[in-house]
Amino acid sequence: MSHPDYEQFSHDHAALLVLVRHIDSTGQIRNIFIRYIKDHPVENNDWGDFQTHRRLLGLISLAKYDSQQELNEICRVHESLKVKYTNTLFDSRAILFLSLGTHDSPTKISNSGDFNVESKGDKEEIPEDQTNIDFEKQNDALDKFVPPSNFKTRAFFYKDTDPCSDLETHLNEFINSLFWVLESKRLERSREKLERVSLLLAPFEKKDFVGLDMESRNNKKRCTGRMTKHLGDLCLQAGLLTESLTYYTNAVETLKSVNDWLWLGAAFEGLCAASALVLYPNIQRNVSLHRNSSLQEGSPKRSNSVSVSSLDTINKKDVTNCLSPEDILKRYREAIIHYSKYQNAGIIETEASFKAARISVEQNHSLQAATFLQNVVFINLTLSEQEKIQRFETLSDLYTQIGFIRKASFCQRLAATRYVSPQNPTPNWSQCYNLMLQSFPGHKLSLDPTEMCNSNLQIGWPSLQIQLLQELVVAAKRMGHSALATRHMTFLLQTMWNHLSNTDQKELSLQLQSLASQCEGAPVPLVLDNGIVIPPANLINVPVCIGFTLKNLQPHLQPRKIQASKQDSGPFLFTPINFGSLERKNNKPQSKMDFLWIENDLCEVSLKLLNPLPFELKVSNMRLLTSGIVFESIPETVILPSDTPTPLTLNGTPKESGELEILGYSTHTLGVKSNCRLRYMRSFMPQYTIEVIPALPTMEVKTSLPQSATFSTFQNFENVVTSASLSLYNGESTECTITLTNTGNVPIEMLEISIQSVLEPALQDQIFKWSKENIESQLPLMPNASASLTLYLYSAANFLASGFGLSDLMSGVFTSSHPSSIMSMSAGPSSLPSRLNSPIHSTMGGSFHARRNDLNSSFRSTNSGQSSMTTQGCRSPGALALPHHATTSIVEGQLQLRYSGGPGLEAGYCRTCSVFLTLEMIPSLQVTNWDVLPAETSSQFYLVLDIANLTSQEMELYYTSSKHMLIEGHESCRVPVPVDRCPLSKLTKLYMDQNSGVDDRLDLDKICSEHIASLVDLRWHLLSTETTGKATLKGIILTPNMLDIVRMSPLQWDVTVNGDLVKPQEPINCDAGDCLQTHIKVSNCLERPLRQLTMTIQFYQDYQNGVCSYKLETRLATAGATKVSLPTLEPQGKAQHVCNVVFFTPGLYKIDIQCSAPENFATNIVSNTTGHVWKFIPAVEINVK
Amino acid sequence: MAVCVSIIGKDNSPKYFSCLNPYDELNLQYKVLSSLDVVEEKLNSGSKSGSDIRELYLGMLYSLETHKIYGYVTNTKIKFVIIVDSTNTAIRDNEIRSMFRKLHSIYADYVCNPFHIPGDQITSKPFDERVKNIMTGNA
Repeated sequence: MSHPDYEQFSHDHAALLVLVRHIDSTGQIRNIFIRYIKDHPVENNDWGDFQTHRRLLGLISLAKYDSQQELNEICRVHESLKVKYTNTLFDSRAILFLSLGTHDSPTKISNSGDFNVESKGDKEEIPEDQTNIDFEKQNDALDKFVPPSNFKTRAFFYKDTDPCSDLETHLNEFINSLFWVLESKRLERSREKLERVSLLLAPFEKKDFVGLDMESRNNKKRCTGRMTKHLGDLCLQAGLLTESLTYYTNAVETLKSVNDWLWLGAAFEGLCAASALVLYPNIQRNVSLHRNSSLQEGSPKRSNSVSVSSLDTINKKDVTNCLSPEDILKRYREAIIHYSKYQNAGIIETEASFKAARISVEQNHSLQAATFLQNVVFINLTLSEQEKIQRFETLSDLYTQIGFIRKASFCQRLAATRYVSPQNPTPNWSQCYNLMLQSFPGHKLSLDPTEMCNSNLQIGWPSLQIQLLQELVVAAKRMGHSALATRHMTFLLQTMWNHLSNTDQKELSLQLQSLASQCEGAPVPLVLDNGIVIPPANLINVPVCIGFTLKNLQPHLQPRKIQASKQDSGPFLFTPINFGSLERKNNKPQSKMDFLWIENDLCEVSLKLLNPLPFELKVSNMRLLTSGIVFESIPETVILPSDTPTPLTLNGTPKESGELEILGYSTHTLGVKSNCRLRYMRSFMPQYTIEVIPALPTMEVKTSLPQSATFSTFQNFENVVTSASLSLYNGESTECTITLTNTGNVPIEMLEISIQSVLEPALQDQIFKWSKENIESQLPLMPNASASLTLYLYSAANFLASGFGLSDLMSGVFTSSHPSSIMSMSAGPSSLPSRLNSPIHSTMGGSFHARRNDLNSSFRSTNSGQSSMTTQGCRSPGALALPHHATTSIVEGQLQLRYSGGPGLEAGYCRTCSVFLTLEMIPSLQVTNWDVLPAETSSQFYLVLDIANLTSQEMELYYTSSKHMLIEGHESCRVPVPVDRCPLSKLTKLYMDQNSGVDDRLDLDKICSEHIASLVDLRWHLLSTETTGKATLKGIILTPNMLDIVRMSPLQWDVTVNGDLVKPQEPINCDAGDCLQTHIKVSNCLERPLRQLTMTIQFYQDYQNGVCSYKLETRLATAGATKVSLPTLEPQGKAQHVCNVVFFTPGLYKIDIQCSAPENFATNIVSNTTGHVWKFIPAVEINVK
Repeated sequence: MAVCVSIIGKDNSPKYFSCLNPYDELNLQYKVLSSLDVVEEKLNSGSKSGSDIRELYLGMLYSLETHKIYGYVTNTKIKFVIIVDSTNTAIRDNEIRSMFRKLHSIYADYVCNPFHIPGDQITSKPFDERVKNIMTGNA
């Protein structure tokens, strides 16, 4: 016997060998096992004496025919088979199917011609379905063909569409016949006298006993022992377990005494088999794969149920001579040891080892099983490659059963290599490949690379895994499935990258490239013919991604909420307690982005890639992998130099609004397409999500002004899209046209313009102006349409020298050299107004281009006098102290444009962009000093301004509507501006308040200064650059004494001299000695009473050189009081006073009439210096002749 | 004395592998890997029967034509496997035991290194040296 049967169970010792599988059961007691096999080398029958279960007892042939000729041929083959196994065969059957040819192809029919009677799987195709073919017709057809007359076998004829309902009964009957033959043989044998039996021999023993004395006691015993053992075999097959056990036990005794080791082993094995049958009646082959269609339905299952129920009835304890589970293995071990003494019994030994291992498996003795299996390897057999492979496969199967998956994988791998070994005449790469694939679990390999990468712990043995994968690639390649080879190589590179040396990495990458050139790798699962799915593998390590960041849109394109949500920061504006710190806010990167992307806008993800290979790598077709909303990714191609981190930006456009998930990117490199998902890469979030909002318009902004060269870092600097710079002289204004073009596809429906600067709002509004209505009328702005916005720019500045504050004025910067205050100066019979009048009038009248020096000198002439208008130092014309702070200032502002439209507007978003404006404000003129002087009329006063031209050009200054003058660059001059006094109507409110305090005075200041600012209009014109501008006196500061001049007197004067009303500029003429009656009427124009008024009439002579003489006792005499006290003057109330004066000598006299009141009307403490003084202006002039 | 020494972590991943003949490494790795089945089986059955847990030596795992494979498991389930040439019949069980004990002690020394991260592979020249000494019987 040279063909090992690795599939054997020890139970097979009890089986009747039949060439086609079926089952039988007889009576209540006997359990008959039938083993159907598909192939049986006739040599195996030779061992039939040694172990009866090796004999072939029955034959069932299956065949299909469609002609008489074919039927004859089948019958002939069947008969020849019968002859072949004639030594052992008990009975045979033929099951024949008539092919009606309705659905069978001719090739199939011809197949049945050379069909081996031993049944094949595909010959068992018995259709289950009842067809609609007419039965009658078929029966006719069956009758049509008749087997040849010399065909003695019982045959069953079916049509190929027949349900074969009676087949089972036929087979049962067949099994019965087998059984009865066996039973009769058993009985026959058992009736033989044990002393007489001939010696049973194993095939190889035949030579050994030639010429030996068979009558010796030893040999007699040997014969008896062997026969006893043989009877045991037969009993076992005939279902008599207890009898067989007894026979085997006896045989063991007998054979042991004669040292017949081989048969002793067989007896032990029989004993074990019988015991195992008692103990584990249900050991079954796991048959399921090749069973098909109708045959299995009834019989095999029924056999199971029968055997179970009937065997349960046998009380296991009652069975005498039955071995204990431990003993079974012990005996089997002995049996194997005995077998191993005979070199020719190698196959028996191997088979016994397998059987023992299977019992160990049943007993859950894995280690025992492992030693039995280990023993198999040591048995030296001359086997064909195919048988060796089978041996390894069976070993691996059993190792798997005992959970030795590594060992199983090892055997599978050995089997795989045998398939393609050089000794193998028919290499089979596909089998090799399949076995390699099956050995994956033992190597802790998984076909799915994600599983491999997910387990952080490296569990398998990398070097072995790499070896296996490389072999797998070769197998796949030799198999001719290059897609598979590419896939496995990709897998190897993906999962084993870190365990590969640099040279391996390079070599395997190059191999992959050459493999992929035959079949490009793509990230789709591959399905093998046997249904195994090979999941996609991706090259995530070639190139390595070391950076992956989603980019926010550019600042001016970022969407912003139109209505900023008010942040609830609690009752405190600031709290040092960081509540967030209590919540253990983790600084881990968030997968949800805190910025937004916009539909239809180009969005960016920046990557940093590293090529780990020592050669240049071209990565093409790189795209982003997304899920969620529709996203259009733009493919990129990049060539990566070796080992240098290369930044790369992947772009794409979301086509919808909603949540977008970025899962990774796809690559195409080394001929393999990969989907590199972040989930499978270390140090990245599994995915990034970002909110995409509906589409917003985009706008392009241009200005008519040149761009600024630089701009300082200013808040929200990032929004700036363009800039404009401009230089303006203070007071100059200009226009800037800003052109807005809608460059997007969404109309702009909303546009908000605002200016941002660090200036205070009032000033800012002065500098930047635009028409809101104008721009709003141009909305909506359709795509590709333009709108223009005019921005008015005005260089607003403080034209007043700020160095001179109120305190300076109060402390008497002007009057330091004089004991008298400004008030006193003006109170005195100053000639300044007239002097101002005359020279200016004259000079201006005479020569338009009056030189400032001239003007100044005229002032200087008064310096010696009382007037303190020109204090030394700061007035010296040559060394005009230009205010040192009057340098060029730069104002920066941002014109912020918030715009939105379309669906984005509905979602409440807008975009913001801004124009950066740089305004260089060049000083033009400055009022370095000012004062007020009473004018000739009571309704006006003179504002005297020292104006400095801060430019280097000649400036023409228009200070009233009709008067103008030229000022040289960097020089100054003094101009008098007649201004209407501040009417009382503007001040009523103040006087209304009884409890006026210091604040009121400040208010008064303000009202008056605004009054001046609104009336004085200084316009300048630079002659060389033709620029014009306007200066304001906004914010002019006035001393209290000035205020009294600036505002209208609350007292209305009515002065008559000799009954004639005194008019300004008209001196009264009289002769010396004339009595002049001066009648003074005072009425209160305020709406409240004035108290503690003191009216004074004073006569003086003005020498016109700044000196006034009040010592006039020798020159005039007054009759009547010159000082009258008016305790109260009711509103609208009037008071009058009359006094007479007589001038003794001719001359020019003046009368100063004034009313004074303490500042605080409510108090009685009179303080003249701080109180109010209201004068009758101008002083009355009397020319006495 | 020994042909190969291997240290395997508790998750059955290789931590250290050393053999006298580097060309044989892959082959021996296969042998060690398949011997792990037996080790696991022994551990499973051992724990069931409640045998003396201080006995770390597992004895011979299995023998092949050319090699004999011995196993040893620490209480933390770190496995040591030593492969011995079958032809060397002079070697006694006691010698194998003492090899394992030495190996265990140098392993313990090694993992005491504060810079060693548990679970990492062992890559250390001095350790290599000492293992080689044990293998050749010079230690």
